[in-house]
Amino acid sequence: MEGREPIIQVNDLHHNYLRGTPLEVTALKGVTMEIYPGEAVGIIGRTGAGKSTIVQHFNGLIRPRERGKVIVDGVDLADPAVDIRALRQKVGLVFQYPEQQLFERFVGDDVAFGPLKMGLPMDEVRERVREAMEMVGLSFEAFKDRYTFTLSGGEMRKAAIAGVLALRPKVLILDESTSGVDPRSRKELLGHISRLHEEYGLTVIFVSPNMEDVAELVDRVYVIDDGRTVMSGTTREVFSRPEELVRYGLGVPQITEIVHELAQRGKLPPTTVISVQEGKEAIWKILNSSAT
Amino acid sequence: MEDFEFLRNITIGQYLPGDSLVHRLDPRAKISITLFVIIAITFNISYMANVILLLACLGFVLLSKISLKYILSGVKPAIPFIVVLAILQLLFYGDAYIPYNAESQTILRWGWIHITNGSVQLVIISTLRFLELLFLTSLLTNTTTTSDLTNGMEAMLSPFSKIGVPGHELALVGTTALRFVPILAEQLEIIMKAQASRGADLGTKGKLQFIQTTRQVIVLIVPLFIDAFRRAEDLILAMQARCYIGGRKRTKLVKFRFSRADYVAYFTMLAFSAAMTIFRNAFPF
Repeated sequence: MEGREPIIQVNDLHHNYLRGTPLEVTALKGVTMEIYPGEAVGIIGRTGAGKSTIVQHFNGLIRPRERGKVIVDGVDLADPAVDIRALRQKVGLVFQYPEQQLFERFVGDDVAFGPLKMGLPMDEVRERVREAMEMVGLSFEAFKDRYTFTLSGGEMRKAAIAGVLALRPKVLILDESTSGVDPRSRKELLGHISRLHEEYGLTVIFVSPNMEDVAELVDRVYVIDDGRTVMSGTTREVFSRPEELVRYGLGVPQITEIVHELAQRGKLPPTTVISVQEGKEAIWKILNSSAT
Repeated sequence: MEDFEFLRNITIGQYLPGDSLVHRLDPRAKISITLFVIIAITFNISYMANVILLLACLGFVLLSKISLKYILSGVKPAIPFIVVLAILQLLFYGDAYIPYNAESQTILRWGWIHITNGSVQLVIISTLRFLELLFLTSLLTNTTTTSDLTNGMEAMLSPFSKIGVPGHELALVGTTALRFVPILAEQLEIIMKAQASRGADLGTKGKLQFIQTTRQVIVLIVPLFIDAFRRAEDLILAMQARCYIGGRKRTKLVKFRFSRADYVAYFTMLAFSAAMTIFRNAFPF
């Protein structure tokens, strides 16, 4: 990462909702993070910690107006003259339950909404729709003329994510976008996202309450609690401090917990594993050594 | 710049916890007083009476300790409508509106435009009335919880059940509608943000923003309707799962009882509104 410019830089960000009303609430009180091009970064924190508020700053849905700075691809978002449309093409944000944003009758038309708004020629729009749909595992030929509202929940979600990918963003933010679908769809989605990250070099920002998913998908993690950045580091570093995470209302992946406990009971040298595969290896090692 | 925070502008229907005199009043007293004053507003068309009524409404706001700025911010989304309405009234009413206690006089006649002192008066009185009604209705919902409102309305309608008025159901319909205003506003905010994130021209400053928004309303309305129907179905299911039957011999945990403050407020405002209504033609201007 040395020597490279961060694509997103957040410095001491503050934000209040319902500013100037009796219901004003403070959501952010000092968030600092840096995201480099091509990285996959996780943002974790308990409900109400401010994760969504942070990521909505990244594509200008919320603008920094109190203390703090957000710089995306060299542009300071506090500047009122920022080209918001260009920013939103660069930074694609997928919300929780993104299937709620679908509105067109046919799947293909819905995915084409963004590219059409950009004023691209028809061939290009078609090409982008095809590409975006294949990226999330929806066959273009089979799905483009299906009625949107007859799709299954998992398919609707894929179509909605394709609608954002069709903008060809440099950064893809998923704000709890994999929660609430069946396990198979979730697994497929995670597979597609990690492929996008690895093959196309897409920068991925992944917000999720599911520690297993975070461990599987991202390289680095920021922990947010009560509107502040409280921990950061590589996924392995952060998950090697389970006591701290528990204090912030979070946990570690189950396999990490098991190996951590085995180590505490003296069965294993202290290690942090973050995938089931690594855990399996570590456990086989003690089983083999106790057998001999 | 905070283009998406609707709840900052929707003040009606948003309960603001507090412990002021207005908050503590019996909901039946509050609903009655609101009705009395609305009747008085409806009948009074003179400047003086409307200024008095506006001052009375301002008095309520002060008593409730809710910031006037907050309630006034509820006017913001309605300003375009008020302005268009005012222009139409000013230009086209002409002689059709007879001013209060004065002869109709033409101020300007130019082609088809005909402005009289009557139409000027109408514009001013309409704006005053709008403010009065906004203060009253916001204040009622700002200081009363939804369940208090429902129970209050139901209690007030119960005497009519003998002649077949479904008081409980009417109260339920009314409060469900009110309760859903902030919920739908919040949902609309989410949908707007989601559509803006994939290229819709929402929340971007530009010329003809108004026209663009109108054209793009479809990308908001379709998802919003689907969501509203889903929520309505969920609500029905939840009510049926709890074996809900409209108001049959249901007892209440908290029984309303008029305190002295309630009686004083009730009769003072009844007398005030009655006087304003009866002597509506006695004001000099």
